[in-house]
Amino acid sequence: MAKVYTGRDGVMQLGGTTLAKVVNFQLSSNLETLETTTLSENIRSYSPGVAGYSGSATLLYYKEDDGTFNTTDILNKLYKTGTDGVSSSDTVELTFRWVDGTDNNDIKLTAYITSASIGAATGDIVRAEIAFQGTGALSTVTIS
Amino acid sequence: MAFPSLVPTSRSFESGDYPVKTFKAQNGKEHRILYGSNRTNMKLSLSYANITDANAELFLDHFDEVQGTFGTFVIGLDAREGWEGNKDAIGAQTHGNNYRYESPPQVAQVRPGISTVTVNLIGVL
Repeated sequence: MAKVYTGRDGVMQLGGTTLAKVVNFQLSSNLETLETTTLSENIRSYSPGVAGYSGSATLLYYKEDDGTFNTTDILNKLYKTGTDGVSSSDTVELTFRWVDGTDNNDIKLTAYITSASIGAATGDIVRAEIAFQGTGALSTVTIS
Repeated sequence: MAFPSLVPTSRSFESGDYPVKTFKAQNGKEHRILYGSNRTNMKLSLSYANITDANAELFLDHFDEVQGTFGTFVIGLDAREGWEGNKDAIGAQTHGNNYRYESPPQVAQVRPGISTVTVNLIGVL
C-alpha cells in the first residue's frame, strides 16, 4: 500500500535501544568528487573520491521514571571529566529507522559525537542538540 | 621510454631567456653582452590531478629511464594540449633545447588508486 512517511514513523536508536523523546534527526551522506578535467576539455569530468556520513539530532532532555536520562550515553561522549579527552573507543552505534508496520527501513552506522549542546531558556523545554560524524562503512542499509 | 603521453590538468610555462650578462659602469650606464643565440632555461610545470596510480607510475618509470635529472628528452604534444597558439611557442625544441627534470616528480596519493603528480621540467641546450 502506498505510504508517505512522517515524523511519527521515525525512530532513532542508540546501541539497539530506542531513544526517547527524539524531536528530529537528519543523516547526510556525502561524496568527494575528484576533478579529472584536462587542459584540452571544455566540460568538467570527475572521478569518485571518498564517501562519508554525518548528521545531527535533537532530543528533549528527559528523565525516565527510573531516574535515567535518555541523553546520558550520548552527552557523556563529550561531557566528561578528566584530561584524557575523546578516545577512539568513544563511538556510538546509531540506527535511524523509518517504520512501516512490521517493516523497518534502517540505516545503521558507527559514529563519533562531534558536538553536543544543551541549555535552558525561559518558557522552553530543555533540548540536547547533537551532531555526529560517521566512521567506517555503514553496517546496515535497508532503505529502499 | 617516452615521456608519458597524458594531457595535464594544469600547466605553467616560463619562457627562459637568452644568455645575457649585464654590467653596470660607474657612470650608471648598463652594458649587456649576449653570449649565445639560443633561448634556454625555459621552465615547464605540469600537474596531472587525480590520475590512476598506474598512470602516475609512468612518470616514476620515465624518471628512472632518463636517470633522474641527468638525461634530456622530448615531450609530446599531449603535454601542450589545450594551448591553441603555436605549440612550438611553449616548447623547447624550437630554440635547440631539450627538457630534463628540474626536480623529481612529486606524487600525492589522493585516495586508494588515485594520485596527483606534478613534474617540473627545464629546457637545456
